[in-house]
Amino acid sequence: MNSNIIFTDRQDATVGLASSIHKTTCPYCGVGCGVSTTVIDNKIVSVTGDKNHPSNFGRLCVKGSSLHETVADTGRILTPKVFGKQASWEEATSTVAEHFKQTITEHGPDSVAFYVSGQILTEDYYVVNKLMKGFIGSANVDTNSRLCMASASVAHKRAFGEDAVPGCYEDLEQAEVIFIVGSNPAYAHPIVYQRIVKAKEDNPQLKVVVIDPRATATSKNADLHIKLKPGSDAFYFNGLLAYLAENNAIDTDYIEQHCLGYSEALDTVKSQMPTLENVAKACDIKLKTLLESYQLFAQHKKVVSMFSMGINQSSSGVDKGNAIINCHLASGKIGYVGAGPFSITGQPNAMGGREVGGLANQLAGHMHFENPNEIDLVQRFWNAPKMAQKQGLKAVDMFDAVNSGKIKAIWIIATNPVVSMPNANLVKKALQKCPMVVVSESYESAETVNYADVVLPATTWGEKEGMVTSSERTISLQKSLVSAPGMAKNDWEIVTLVAQKMGFSDAFTYKHAHDIFKEHAALSGFENISADENIHRSDTEHSVHRAFDISGLANLSLDEYLNFTPTPWPINAENPKGTKRLFTQGGFATKTGKANFVPVVAKYPQVVPSTKQVVMNTGRIRDQWHTMTRTGRVPKLMTHLSEPFIQINAKDAKRLNVADKALLQLDNLGSTYIGRAQITDEQRVGEIFVPIHWNDSFSKSAKVSALISSITDALSGQPEFKQCPVNISAFNAKWAGYLVSTMPVKLTTDYWTMATIEQGVKYVIADKQGLPYCADNSETFLQTHFPEISDWLVLKDDKSHILRIAGFVDNVLTCFFAGGTDLSVKYSTQFIEKQIGQKHNPKTRFKLLSALDSDGSLDVGEIICSCFQVGEKTIKHAVASGDCSSVEALGKQLKCGTNCGSCIPELKAFINS
Amino acid sequence: MYRNQNTSVFEKPSLVIIGNGMATGRLLDEILERTPGQYQITVIGKEPYGSYNRIMLSSVLAGETTIDGIIQKTPQWYKDNQIEFISGTNVSHIDSENKKLILQNSQNHESLEDQKIISYDELVLAVGSRSAKIPAKNQNVKGLFNFRDIKDTEQIQSFANQASALKGEDKKALVIGGGLLGLEAAYGLAISGVKVTLIHRNKWLLNRQLDQVSGTMLQNIMAAKNINFILGHEVAQFTSNTNKEGENILSGAELTNGETITAEMAVIATGITPNKELAVSANIITERAIVVNDFMQTSNRYISALGECCQHKNSTFGLVDPIWSQCKSLAERLCLGRLSAFKNAPVPTKLKVSGVQLFSAGVVESSDTTQTFVITDQKSSIYRKIIIKNDIIVGVVLFGDVSSGMVYFEMMQNKQKVLHAMPELLIGHEFMAIEAENKDQRSEAA
Repeated sequence: MNSNIIFTDRQDATVGLASSIHKTTCPYCGVGCGVSTTVIDNKIVSVTGDKNHPSNFGRLCVKGSSLHETVADTGRILTPKVFGKQASWEEATSTVAEHFKQTITEHGPDSVAFYVSGQILTEDYYVVNKLMKGFIGSANVDTNSRLCMASASVAHKRAFGEDAVPGCYEDLEQAEVIFIVGSNPAYAHPIVYQRIVKAKEDNPQLKVVVIDPRATATSKNADLHIKLKPGSDAFYFNGLLAYLAENNAIDTDYIEQHCLGYSEALDTVKSQMPTLENVAKACDIKLKTLLESYQLFAQHKKVVSMFSMGINQSSSGVDKGNAIINCHLASGKIGYVGAGPFSITGQPNAMGGREVGGLANQLAGHMHFENPNEIDLVQRFWNAPKMAQKQGLKAVDMFDAVNSGKIKAIWIIATNPVVSMPNANLVKKALQKCPMVVVSESYESAETVNYADVVLPATTWGEKEGMVTSSERTISLQKSLVSAPGMAKNDWEIVTLVAQKMGFSDAFTYKHAHDIFKEHAALSGFENISADENIHRSDTEHSVHRAFDISGLANLSLDEYLNFTPTPWPINAENPKGTKRLFTQGGFATKTGKANFVPVVAKYPQVVPSTKQVVMNTGRIRDQWHTMTRTGRVPKLMTHLSEPFIQINAKDAKRLNVADKALLQLDNLGSTYIGRAQITDEQRVGEIFVPIHWNDSFSKSAKVSALISSITDALSGQPEFKQCPVNISAFNAKWAGYLVSTMPVKLTTDYWTMATIEQGVKYVIADKQGLPYCADNSETFLQTHFPEISDWLVLKDDKSHILRIAGFVDNVLTCFFAGGTDLSVKYSTQFIEKQIGQKHNPKTRFKLLSALDSDGSLDVGEIICSCFQVGEKTIKHAVASGDCSSVEALGKQLKCGTNCGSCIPELKAFINS
Repeated sequence: MYRNQNTSVFEKPSLVIIGNGMATGRLLDEILERTPGQYQITVIGKEPYGSYNRIMLSSVLAGETTIDGIIQKTPQWYKDNQIEFISGTNVSHIDSENKKLILQNSQNHESLEDQKIISYDELVLAVGSRSAKIPAKNQNVKGLFNFRDIKDTEQIQSFANQASALKGEDKKALVIGGGLLGLEAAYGLAISGVKVTLIHRNKWLLNRQLDQVSGTMLQNIMAAKNINFILGHEVAQFTSNTNKEGENILSGAELTNGETITAEMAVIATGITPNKELAVSANIITERAIVVNDFMQTSNRYISALGECCQHKNSTFGLVDPIWSQCKSLAERLCLGRLSAFKNAPVPTKLKVSGVQLFSAGVVESSDTTQTFVITDQKSSIYRKIIIKNDIIVGVVLFGDVSSGMVYFEMMQNKQKVLHAMPELLIGHEFMAIEAENKDQRSEAA
């Protein structure tokens, strides 16, 4: 347990090379699972869940299970590029340093900015933050955590005095009732979700209430689903506060001892909604259902309210977070086992980023600009020449400032804002205008790279080393397991090189991430007094209390660092082994030591849809991560859902006259999203759900963020991603089809989506023009895309309804196209995918044109279990035959659901139907 | 049952068959299968051989088999089956009033002494056809051949053999006609080492069975076997020299486009003309050929006809399948007195040319009212086409791969609706079932 490196004595039989097993941390969601990797010959050959890691105890989701497949040299950025030309590191870092220096000299520190990522490591984050806020003298550092955690962060700060999650994952297992609010952990945080599922199996009394406008894999397994009106969450929790007050469920002693502002908060609720009928109406749910859920909250002591993007990504996200926290404070359901509000983080190191102060409204080490003492403290610790004195620009404002020319140089690290930011096309335009755009990135497919003046090749998971902090405050190490490809460097190293060239060599002397981490730990303990001392502190005193204190790690040796056991903060002299729960005896991080109730006037989303519009909800799907630069490389992860889609209620579909699986088009802000209709009663009428992942690298028009207005929460600056009204219409395709090919091509059809497959790539295609057809040489349609092919096999009809083309090089099937005007045809490509790249008999190869194997056995239907590639047809068959009447039986027979378990909700649905 | 007027009640009635081609061979089999010994049967053949498989003559020409190898019924066979076999003999006249025939030795038909008269109770005309004439001038030259029978084959072969004996220069031959017979002659000659130029009036080969794409594919395959093609033109006249003996010897041809080609030999294989002259002389009704009713009976109730010399309704015949049906119908009537009508059912053309399989049925060309599905694999020389009209198959052309051909043909005959099964059906009928299953599952899912 103490040693994370186990060198096994096993010799790999085929290669004759020693394999070694290393423990590291998963880079996807905020759960922060421990991963055990097997490395042979500088290659990560397999991954399993780390049985000893406190996040996952050996489990891994489907994305985590295929991590090793993402680490490859292909598609990677391997050398620095300056103005489109390959460059040395010397040249690239000098260019960046000179350009930044000159811009600062001419236009001041606020003319430059960093936009970084919840996926970089704590040490990377720390160096960026220190350079900007202490040495350049601007707080224009923001991060994609702004899109993810900013609202929860501010809500925590307002209620607890500090951005701190009180509880831990264990509380979910120990709870009597779990409220899952605006979150689909079955897809977005699968391992936390599986811990809930397991807890429910072990304790059938455990009740799960899901609060979400749409039915999800999570809600399907819940005891109660509150399918509320989108964005009405604050009405719901305000109503709960009123209910608790009316039903004698208030912990008056707790409020008396540990809180301030209860009556004001309750009065605010009552004046907005005098009765619970008002609440039910505001949330568009039945009063009976509302009361049923309130009763569950009121009648149990151990209640956890877990929330994520459905709350945070809102124009009133901070208030929503506080509305939840208010209920826990009022009933005293906080600070003990099985209770508390629990913000679940979206990214692997969003919390670590907040710890170093990586957001524009933060300073460093959980300190802020509002208190001059804190600025002074940090300045003295850093020995900083030029401290930023005020908050910098938050993400949306930052790109607006780039667009208006106020910011003239921006450095983007490990994030893809032209895809992920709201009104993403404006971000694109802003970057096109900006005189200096530096992008540190690992993957060529990250669209933002296309707008960079300087591209810096960065290491990624498995190559770089550093700490991340999970949703439960647990610090855990991501290890360097294989060497960096090409000339790629670690992000902290790149920033350090530039800082040195900008003249800050004395303050940026780091040789290893370990050096940085120690400094970060030391800062957290620097003049940090206890909560108790804080209450009695005089206003002139310099010391500042921070719950975030990892001073216990300030003297960590390199060996201890490399073998770090995952530990939740605070980690200090008082709690050398870390701290599972905060605020167990009150002791909040406010000046008074008491938690604050925040009066919340509930608000709906800012933009109200017109009668013809629908409200667009957005979110993650099970097998993809963010903008797909990593997961889009793994064929297995493209099998569950390989195309952008739009979930829509049957009534809306009927109104639009579209069938299931037909293409739909969304329009807003001059941008278009094209996706396949999934008609489902999971969506409420007038509302749709769209995945966030697809973008210009993977689909013709599927960048959902480009349709989302930059409306943000005034306090957190977090955009309202979840409730954007958009125009919707049928995409009237003339024909549809697909192209499977050994390599990517640039299609010009009105719609296409690319998916990586084992043998190459697959495009699903549709077009508003007629089927490409020239009487004698239909292959000319493909000839332009495949100039190397001259051997074509064609099937067509003379009325231009059907066209199938196979292209061969030396009898090797190199590309295969099938298209037709009958849009109801649903193509199965499983057989033909397996034929791509294979040699075929010239006399029988025409049979490939069927795209079917002659006995049909290869077609297993849509893949449900990504881990074992078990398809819908196979599962349905097993259920229909009566052999499998439970998820366990299916697992035994077909293996589906037995690895990551992500598909278990779907398997259950098959059994129930 | 008919009574023989010329014989006593104790004698068997006589059945005389004129012609000893493939139809006669098959008719004899059908008769022997039913009522052997019912008739005293006489077969009169012009050629001196037993019954042979004419279709195989191109294989003989190509040297792939021998004359002996294609003989199906030897003179001994006739003897064994108590059939009188008169070979090498022409029938010069039918006296239908008296039910008598006048025979003449075909080798020496000027001599009156060789004339012989025989009587019949039932007469069958199975006199076949001859090569069609082409309008070219100067056809009375040495080195110009037809390709109909063993004699033609032997002559062509011997000419070709002399040619290959010549040193230095290749012997050059012209083949006129790009139908099956012409292609087979060209193929046979090319295989035996003759440099062949094939001249065809149409723009592509086998234009009755293939469309332009598949016809061109066939041309490419045959061109690879060293055959030259001149398409879209005809021979205007043959050119010739006079040798020492004063004979006119073929030297080549001049085409309608003015082009001249040199050759030592030419084979005319442009089609067939039914032999109806004997019937005309007996006042039997003829049109393009000898007209028969549904029971193969001519306008004379004691005279029947079948095979390439007959005409049923508006059709004449060149392929074996309908002729086999004619043999059955006729045998039923002659042996058992049953009137089993011959139906001229459409038949698919199934051919093997130059080693390539092809299959053709129904129409070959699309029209405004049809929808045509096509697979083209140029490199593998595979071509498959189905023409559909009102949801029913009206034409099939398969080239290079003829699988599922008979299934399509049956669907065409049964007027089965097939549009929903396209294009899977065209790829192979086995895919239609898989596709149907998939469609079922789709609708289930929906």
